[in-house]
Amino acid sequence: MSVHILGIRHHGPGSARNVKAFLEELQPDIVLIEGPPEADTLLSWAGHDDLQPPVAILAWQPDNPRKACFYPFATFSPEWQAMLYAKEHRIHARLMDLPLAHVFGLENEAAAKAAAANEGAEGKNNTDDIKGDNGDEKALLNNARQSARGTRQHARQDNIAEDDEIIPFPVRRDPISHLAAAAGYDDGERWWEHMFEYRQQQEQVFEAVNDAMQALREELPQPDNQQERLREAWMRKCIRAAEKEMFQRIAVICGAWHGPALQNMPKQKEDNDLLKGLPKAKVATTWIPWTYSRLSYESGYGAGIPSPGWYEHIWEHPTDDSTRWMALVAKLFREQQQDTSVAHVMEAVRLANALAALRQYSRPGLEELNEATLSVLCNGESVLMQLIRDQLIIRNRIGKVPHEVPAPPLQSDIAQWQKKLRLPQTADFKDYQLDLRKENDLERSIFLHRLQLLEIRWGTMQEVTGKGTFKEQWRLQWDPSYSIDIIEKGSWGNTVAEAASSYVIDTAHHTGTLQQVCQMLESAIPAELPAVVDVLIHRINNLAATSGDVLQLMQVIPPLVNISKFGNVRKTDAELVNGIIESMIDRICISLPAASTSITEDAALALLELFYGMNDAIGLLQHAALTGSWHHTLQVIAGNRQSAPMIAGYATRLLFDARILRGEPLLQGFSVAMSVANPPAVAASWLEGFLKGSGTLLLLDESLWGMVYSWVSQLENDIFIQVLPLLRRTFSNFTAPERKKLGAKVKQGGSDTSVKIVATGDTDAARGEQGIPVVMQMLGLVDSKLLADGA
Amino acid sequence: MSDILRYHAEQLFAEELEELRKQDTGKRPHNWLLTPQSVVTYLVGGKLKNGFDVTPKYIGSKRLMEIAVATLATDRALLLYGLPGTAKSWVSEHLAAAISGDSTMIIQGTAGTSEESIRYGWNYARLLAEGPSRNALVETPVMRAMQDGKIARIEELTRIGADVQDSLITILSEKTLPIPELNTEVQANKGFNVIATANNRDKGVNELSSALKRRFNTVILPVPDSMEEEIDIVRRRVESFEKTMDLPAEKPALEEIRRIVTIFRELRNGVTLDGKTKLKSPGSTLSTAEAISVVNNGLALAAYFGDGTLNAADLAAGVIGAVVKDPVQDKLVWQEYLETVVKTREDWKDVYRACRDLA
Repeated sequence: MSVHILGIRHHGPGSARNVKAFLEELQPDIVLIEGPPEADTLLSWAGHDDLQPPVAILAWQPDNPRKACFYPFATFSPEWQAMLYAKEHRIHARLMDLPLAHVFGLENEAAAKAAAANEGAEGKNNTDDIKGDNGDEKALLNNARQSARGTRQHARQDNIAEDDEIIPFPVRRDPISHLAAAAGYDDGERWWEHMFEYRQQQEQVFEAVNDAMQALREELPQPDNQQERLREAWMRKCIRAAEKEMFQRIAVICGAWHGPALQNMPKQKEDNDLLKGLPKAKVATTWIPWTYSRLSYESGYGAGIPSPGWYEHIWEHPTDDSTRWMALVAKLFREQQQDTSVAHVMEAVRLANALAALRQYSRPGLEELNEATLSVLCNGESVLMQLIRDQLIIRNRIGKVPHEVPAPPLQSDIAQWQKKLRLPQTADFKDYQLDLRKENDLERSIFLHRLQLLEIRWGTMQEVTGKGTFKEQWRLQWDPSYSIDIIEKGSWGNTVAEAASSYVIDTAHHTGTLQQVCQMLESAIPAELPAVVDVLIHRINNLAATSGDVLQLMQVIPPLVNISKFGNVRKTDAELVNGIIESMIDRICISLPAASTSITEDAALALLELFYGMNDAIGLLQHAALTGSWHHTLQVIAGNRQSAPMIAGYATRLLFDARILRGEPLLQGFSVAMSVANPPAVAASWLEGFLKGSGTLLLLDESLWGMVYSWVSQLENDIFIQVLPLLRRTFSNFTAPERKKLGAKVKQGGSDTSVKIVATGDTDAARGEQGIPVVMQMLGLVDSKLLADGA
Repeated sequence: MSDILRYHAEQLFAEELEELRKQDTGKRPHNWLLTPQSVVTYLVGGKLKNGFDVTPKYIGSKRLMEIAVATLATDRALLLYGLPGTAKSWVSEHLAAAISGDSTMIIQGTAGTSEESIRYGWNYARLLAEGPSRNALVETPVMRAMQDGKIARIEELTRIGADVQDSLITILSEKTLPIPELNTEVQANKGFNVIATANNRDKGVNELSSALKRRFNTVILPVPDSMEEEIDIVRRRVESFEKTMDLPAEKPALEEIRRIVTIFRELRNGVTLDGKTKLKSPGSTLSTAEAISVVNNGLALAAYFGDGTLNAADLAAGVIGAVVKDPVQDKLVWQEYLETVVKTREDWKDVYRACRDLA
């Protein structure tokens, strides 16, 4: 009976190769792999045609799906290779880390304690003292999280994310860096890569790793870390169990750091005591697709690797002397229209090798290759290096998971839809333009809208270029973390439609503001959930009836009008919406005049925007009765002396635009507002409202121009200075050509310079008539023969 | 003390080169004085096995120097590229000194540099008297470097006209210099290579042709990363300057150097060091090399006209001279900086007064 400990680095291609070679030589009858035992059943999927890395084991707590974590694997992960080996040779494979049931249990317990402490603090009003306690607790949790080279990545756990900022966690040096420093490297990662990952000869490499870690564990002061101790105790427990079952050759694959702890077994009783009475929680697991960008450091994953694409390359081509890599770089450059010759590639390879020799490495690493690329191919400009980073070094891609893998019902439903509608999950974004007149595209759009309602933000809608309301532009990019959202939303129903309906209805009943419910309605209509639409409209009606706030009503009118106008394209019944729009506009028209009086300037400005949207919406509706009552309301506001001057001005302007107020009445209204008796500030603010958005009016209408001109010229010097900011604000909103023309017009002088068509009245009709036939002939309107007859 | 104003690198640091050569055990490229590793050590400094201290010549990224040396070890030429005053020529001189033991084979690129000064020229008296012969040929530094297997240096490559630049292509790719007049050629010996320097600011003046560009590996020398790095550079260079000029003044006070570097960095980056205030940047480059010359200038003033200690007044004239290159625009920038930044700093009162007195 023999136990072989293979200390590895997670996602190390060299480690993976070593593990594979070692297993093939050893021919073990069981492999134990660092990972949560709850996922043991999932291991049998390894080797399935449709299970293609990068994939991850997702584990979550069914009664609290937010509590979840991932164990990602790439092709070049040693654990993955071990799983494949076990599958191929039909031997046992087991995961042997501390069960997540206990990990979650411990965390729940700690969180509960912290919450209790917090409550107590509030009671005692003695926060300082307790905060310290709380902090310790969290520090402990954090400590566990940052444990050396753990594979566990925590999903977005809100409380934890906050902790990271609050707790000044003493940065512990990566233990490997001590070895690297001893070997004269300035970076632990680089040392490890050159020592183990790029290595070609594998003899006794695991012994060497174990010895190195043993030395480190003895030399370095070990932080007292409860969870680390528990994990290692559990691993030992698993090894003992395997020994008891009479397996002959046991291969153990674990993070290098744990190696010595598994090699030197303490007494069984000690471990058992340690593991006694651990709290438990329920845990469910499944496979989910993963992406390389999630695997990289950038996404904040503890045991991440900076360069998944590069690792995949050296996994696939272990003997590449950097020629193949440089050829890839050259190909990429050529695709970007960068002239890159074969000679360039040759020179870059030579420089990379020269650099490696200079630094006394046996072969160039990624740094040397990058430096050679920068120097030879990019002429020292680092701009293109970013391209290499994205396309080659990270080489973002997404894994695949067979749909037979047991998954939560909602996830299966989503996967089925994705397959049916041919919307594959992709690691990089992909754009779709949907033509809603086509059956399949319409279904896609409905599906995507339903996911939006569920707050699964896989797709983002974008502005469509071109005209027409039957098109939608979507950009889809899958993020593995959506799996969590899906599991969380799974409690609302087993299909997308069902879950979206009950989720939206529930949210609608819990939100009080009209605006939010209206937004929900807006997004529910394209999702084609009729039951939801009914409920939402009902809810809106109720809210609108009780709402005394006319501003809130005005805010929701434009989106509602959009729905009623464009809902029909999607074959939705818009009648229901029309009903509530009418009643809401009536309510607005009644209370708006009162709402426009006695308000501050800021409030008036905000109201002005609402007027603008409202007016557009009414224009869009083309409903005669509603338009009439809106115009009536405007007239009331414009005529009311108490209305805020800016609003009154704008109402006048809207009436003018609608061709209701023209000519004499307009001039009258204008001159009343601009008359000298009014305080200049009021007049200026009225003018601002009136000229909102465009000064063309002034350019075209001479009489209005004259009035403004004379009003400005009669202002006293200091009063002019007072109103100047207001006027400036008004005029600065005009377009540049408008302002230029206005300026030119001012230069010309007052209103008397305009050109007028003057009719003198002394026309000799008889002489004029004589010319008409000739003009007719010239225009070709009269037959020349007729003309001749007449003559 | 000899009368020579400035010694070549290989003369100034002869001892270091000798020590490096003595302990050098690795494989040396043909005709190289040192192994590539030792060349890097010579440039960035370090302690040798026998305890000998090698002073750093280039303060900054070691990786850059490694790329430069590795380039020269392959048969590609090296192009050092960067803002004026980022130690391009300095690095090129020391590279040549460490590799060939000879940094004197240099061609200064100008708009008037002709093909004769790169390839070869003729001694016309001889040519008339003897007819075309090897004796009538005037060898250029490039030609001599090829014959001796040494490093040739070309300064300000991009100032040279494009047609003249391209005469380098054959030399760099075929490693030969044909002399059609004599129906012969000069073939480069092993160890020959070219280090060229070029200036960011000259970009687009005489852009290298792509054929020539392909023969060079480019290394961009950056402005110093941090304040401390820059201060270190200025201090070291000024001290070595004192040695050559034997000025009677005291060692430059670190405080004054820090202030000069602060002023230069702030104006160059267009923002104060604390990152709080935005500033206008003058048209001048304000490189580290200029900071060095300002301090040197101040030292000379202090030594000959002042009390022997470097103080703000000695530096003020130099600073203004370095910053204000355009009498109208830069002057405004400088005055603004003086009034908004220098004046408000409590312990900079002397600088402010000195600068204002001069302005």
